[in-house]
Amino acid sequence: MKREKPIELLAPAGSFDSLQAAINAGADSVYFGVEQLNMRTRSSKSFDIDDIKTISSICKANNMKAYITLNTVMYEYDMQLLKTILKEVKKQGIDAVIAADFAVIEYCNQLGIPLHISTQANVSNIESVEFFSKFADVIVLARELTLKQVEYICNEIKRKEIKGPSGGLVKIELFVHGALCMAVSGKCYLSLHTQNASANRGACIQNCRRPYIVKDAESGEELMIDNEYIMSPKDLCTIDILDQVIASGVDVLKIEGRTKGAEYVQVVTQCYKQAVESINDGTFCPEKAAAWKTEMEKVYNRGFWEGYYLGRKLGEWTPQPGSAATEKKIYIGKGTKYYPKINVGEFIIESGSLKVGDTLMVTGPHCGMVKETIETLWVNGTKDNEAIKGDKVTFPFHTRVTSKDKLYKITAAHHA
Amino acid sequence: MHKIIHYRKQCIGCAVCYEQQPELWRMSKKDGKATLIKGIGKKDVFILNIPHAEVVRCNEIAEACPVRIIKVL
Repeated sequence: MKREKPIELLAPAGSFDSLQAAINAGADSVYFGVEQLNMRTRSSKSFDIDDIKTISSICKANNMKAYITLNTVMYEYDMQLLKTILKEVKKQGIDAVIAADFAVIEYCNQLGIPLHISTQANVSNIESVEFFSKFADVIVLARELTLKQVEYICNEIKRKEIKGPSGGLVKIELFVHGALCMAVSGKCYLSLHTQNASANRGACIQNCRRPYIVKDAESGEELMIDNEYIMSPKDLCTIDILDQVIASGVDVLKIEGRTKGAEYVQVVTQCYKQAVESINDGTFCPEKAAAWKTEMEKVYNRGFWEGYYLGRKLGEWTPQPGSAATEKKIYIGKGTKYYPKINVGEFIIESGSLKVGDTLMVTGPHCGMVKETIETLWVNGTKDNEAIKGDKVTFPFHTRVTSKDKLYKITAAHHA
Repeated sequence: MHKIIHYRKQCIGCAVCYEQQPELWRMSKKDGKATLIKGIGKKDVFILNIPHAEVVRCNEIAEACPVRIIKVL
């Protein structure tokens, strides 16, 4: 099936490491947040206003679009910061702002900054799309729609010729992979209720991901719900129905995960990139999808389901706390030096141990994520088989190492 | 003497401190974060001495802060 318009793959960049990982994986665009006005204020190491310039230049150099999220609830006292951010966005030529609040929409309009409507706006019908088309060229649909509903919206955009401010037909963006929330379009008050931490200001403490006990108020008897975290949905994964997702007419595929590591961004983006390419050239098949899924199971996940897109009800709860990833990363140390002529990297071991044959992962702002297996190892200048905490190690490594790089050991994860 | 310490950089601007204790806090119009009125400090850490009678109240504010960047000593 050949499409008239190419599919855009949008990856999360919560850090410079992830940004580089997205570049390595061949993402068409990335989204990021700065300061406290984005939905991952608490959990990810947020960028500062000053970082906008660097992000913009990195993305431009790699021919990739960059979008900034400004999609929290906005209060009066946020307006000045919002304006300051938007001025910098305009100055640095960030490609678009992702917003849900009308103040952001209005300011972007005034400044002539392209706008995308965030999933926080919960757009679920063509009338809403038509309304937002006055301001935005791209609209992220609610994650709770079925593919039939998505298809209807995409067809109606063509039939009614709904155009955005740029003059082109409005583009539809859909979440294809990553964490799902029990609340509709992330509008959750659980975290606010228990810890005063508003999810809608990016401060969610994720209490839905914990186990809970049901208590009989009359007898005081407590019941623990077995094997299920009843408020914690599994992660969205659409790779095995990606052909149907694309056939529904969407333009942009979005991957969730600004709080996740560079290895997650690189592996997931790469898998979806390959999947999109194989759909384009007609070689997409269930076997390939299964292989990609296995690959993605190695990085952070809470188990997969295909979300609501095929009309299923929420009912796929996670069977364990935290990640169900089949591989885990153990922090070992950090990069210190690189010898480019002989392709050797030098690291200092700060925790645990390392031996010949181990699979290592290095993440950093220059390399993104790189995995290699150690074949030879020098410990404190002499050839050895094992290194422990405090040792300085060198080994052949084919990517440049900097002091900002972190070294991890990859091992199989065992889940109870 | 007791004091409040405010680690301002991590503030997410939820305004809970300001709502509950406007005599000590205000919301900065410049960057949308909470500011400890008359707090002394440099960079991102601000300190204000408080009388003993205020400690309980200030502890409540510290507890209410969702990102736990207010400490009372």
